[in-house]
Amino acid sequence: MASSLEDLEMPVKIVEAESGFEALRFLPREDFDLVVTDINMPDINGLELVSFIKNNDKYSSIPLVIVSTEGSDRDRDKGLGLGADAYLAKPFDPETLRQVVGDLLSGRPGSG
Amino acid sequence: MAARRSKKKSAKSSGAQAASKAKAASTPNSKDNHEFVSEAEEILERMFEDLSRLHEQRHGDTEVAPDLVNQIFRSAHTLKGLAGMFGLDAISELSHRMEDILDALRLGRISVDSPAIDLLDDGVSLLATLMTRLERGESSDEQDPAMVQTYLSRIDEAIRAPEPQTGDELEGLDLDSSLLRALTEYEEHRLRENLRRGRHLVLVDSTFEMIAFEEGLSELSVAVREVGEIVSTLPSPGDAPESQIRFSLLVATEIEPERLASRLDFPNTEVHSIHRGQAGGPSAAKPNSHADSEGAAAETPSGQPVENGPAHAEAGDDSPLASSAAPEIESLRSISETVRVDIRKLDELMNLVGELVIQRAAIAAVAQRLTEDKYTARIGAELTKTHKALDRKLKELQSGVLDVRMVPFRQIFEKLSRVVRRLRRDLGKEVELKFNGADTELDKLLVEQLVDPLVHIVRNAFDHALESPEERTNAGKSPHGCIRVSAFQRGNHVVIEVRDDGRGMNVEAIREKAIERGLISAQETLSHKEVLNLVFEAGLSTATEVSETSGRGVGMDVVRTNLAGMGGLVDLVSVAGRGTTVTITLPITLAIIQALIVGIGEERFAIPLNSVLETMIVEPEEIGHSEGREVLNLRGEPLLLCRLGEEFEIEAAGRDERQFVVVLGMGEQRLGLLVDRLEGQQNTVIKSIKGPLQQIRGIAGATELGDSGAVLVIDVSTIVADAVRRREAA
Repeated sequence: MASSLEDLEMPVKIVEAESGFEALRFLPREDFDLVVTDINMPDINGLELVSFIKNNDKYSSIPLVIVSTEGSDRDRDKGLGLGADAYLAKPFDPETLRQVVGDLLSGRPGSG
Repeated sequence: MAARRSKKKSAKSSGAQAASKAKAASTPNSKDNHEFVSEAEEILERMFEDLSRLHEQRHGDTEVAPDLVNQIFRSAHTLKGLAGMFGLDAISELSHRMEDILDALRLGRISVDSPAIDLLDDGVSLLATLMTRLERGESSDEQDPAMVQTYLSRIDEAIRAPEPQTGDELEGLDLDSSLLRALTEYEEHRLRENLRRGRHLVLVDSTFEMIAFEEGLSELSVAVREVGEIVSTLPSPGDAPESQIRFSLLVATEIEPERLASRLDFPNTEVHSIHRGQAGGPSAAKPNSHADSEGAAAETPSGQPVENGPAHAEAGDDSPLASSAAPEIESLRSISETVRVDIRKLDELMNLVGELVIQRAAIAAVAQRLTEDKYTARIGAELTKTHKALDRKLKELQSGVLDVRMVPFRQIFEKLSRVVRRLRRDLGKEVELKFNGADTELDKLLVEQLVDPLVHIVRNAFDHALESPEERTNAGKSPHGCIRVSAFQRGNHVVIEVRDDGRGMNVEAIREKAIERGLISAQETLSHKEVLNLVFEAGLSTATEVSETSGRGVGMDVVRTNLAGMGGLVDLVSVAGRGTTVTITLPITLAIIQALIVGIGEERFAIPLNSVLETMIVEPEEIGHSEGREVLNLRGEPLLLCRLGEEFEIEAAGRDERQFVVVLGMGEQRLGLLVDRLEGQQNTVIKSIKGPLQQIRGIAGATELGDSGAVLVIDVSTIVADAVRRREAA
């Protein structure tokens, strides 16, 4: 995932977590402007991570993008229902990712 | 788990590289195909095994283990990705559709009795056929997709009518909505399946300190998994959101919630019953279920009762598909002859070979003694002959084992490209990274240890050496900088060059810094090269400020130390305005080395032969002096001398006696080592030494000689570097 973001060569700093737990540990360490998560991950899944972030006053305003390979419509609806700002099913066009990330970073609503 | 993940990751990146290569060549590359097959057949074999377990379980009475389905699903997914990266569309498409079937199964969209599941066997067989053809170079662009299409249409037919979802029994559960909302489709399916099987549902709430939640949670999870299935793990902020985190584990279990609570004796942990299943556990839900299958048995694939095994295998044979799969398994075995081996096993083997080499030397010594005595001379000669035969075979064995340890440089190159990609983004510099000699081979162990120093050197080049595009354009260069990493073999060494076309090193700045840091005195006149080599000294960083990219506190001195630990040497050439080249010279392997045994006074030392250029006898009067150091005129060039005896404070032969000079070469540097005796060459295995001896500079380790105990092995790179530096300081 990080590498597809890297390939966009956007002027952003990317911190890559290898698992849901690692993401939980990283959250307090930096001031994140955006979180991009997969659904299927080791330990906790992406929806659980989204739920955690949205239920935590400290992080709830961070924009969230869900990216998933084994995307089912139900997971997509759930993710958006939990408060994720965008959902991308893999394989996605890098340009779409750039657009979604760009929009969310500049404060515009992302496309679902 | 972590290791597997990272492994998968590297496989991904290597695949991506290989695929782009294949496309560049635009013709099918048999080497790439071979690489693909050797990686893919492992996955395929696992799928074969897992599928036969799946068939056993689906014909058995217990539930098909969800982890088993997940595992086959992941195998298909991995294979799909791998094939995609190698540009093998037919295989990729096929695995993709198999992945679909498995996804539907694991999400409960189709039942385990669906005809689509039987088609999986055909799919794996077809994959095996495609891979066999690929390996044999028989693969064709028309035939392969046709075979795949026929199969795919059968899949479509089999899963055309999706089974209707059961009504929503989740609504009535006493569950917090935030938990239900965060369940993935898979988790929902698992929850339903557990309810259907009459299991109890409990919620285990546990609060952890943020700093150590993973350890605590993993202990708790292990305990829970002994008695049930964790359907979901939902994190939420703890009562002190800054420092605490709470996890709610949704657990399906066959044991009573009260008993579960008493079994989970963890601090800050509460167990709530959410739903009570029918009394009697699974038997109630499925009357013909085996009573001997405990809750955990459904979790572990191996929990399947053994006596059921053969019966189910027979049941599987009834299906026409199973019989068609059988011969394919045979053919699959011969696709590629690649075996993956744990490097530690190779180390053990290498060690054994090393021991044998030492024993061989002992036999040689015995043979020599026998030959010298006229009464045993004949038997001695026979033993010498046998010994020679043994020696030859041993050499073959040694090079055979060595060959197995060798891996191509490509692996390192892939890591470096990743680093550069990151740097490009972070620093906004357009830099081209070029590689030469990806097929150059090096001992696996050295490859591992070489990554960090190389990454550091490349980062340095990127960060400090290469100028900004404007600066480059002004200097009349192309705006994009270039870093070229080359690897090639030179004799018993592998040479790695990292060459950039940047601004070159500022010799004056290095000199000033070195004076400032007290490394050299202001009066010293050093050559251009000597000044450059100062960057390898501790405490000398030429970058004006510490940058994120090149890391903090880790300098070229660490690079040199790391390389010296591998018996290697690093050298530097820099031309102002043109660029810098860092050259690393490494022995091909560390495992077995040829050593020259030298004697000083009562002591003996081993010198790795790959750093010995020549040896000669020197008379005392041939030794001259230059700048206060002893030198020898070696074919017109002054050779710096070093008395090994003085180096280690050992009583050696007097200065007026004839001595031997061992000429050492490390990279570009030369040093003549004065010793009393030369005692011959031996194959040796260097062992690291512990205790106070470890601290001594100039000792790389110890080795055992066949005849008489252990000797110390000289660390040539340190001895050479020290001597050269002393001359500079003098």
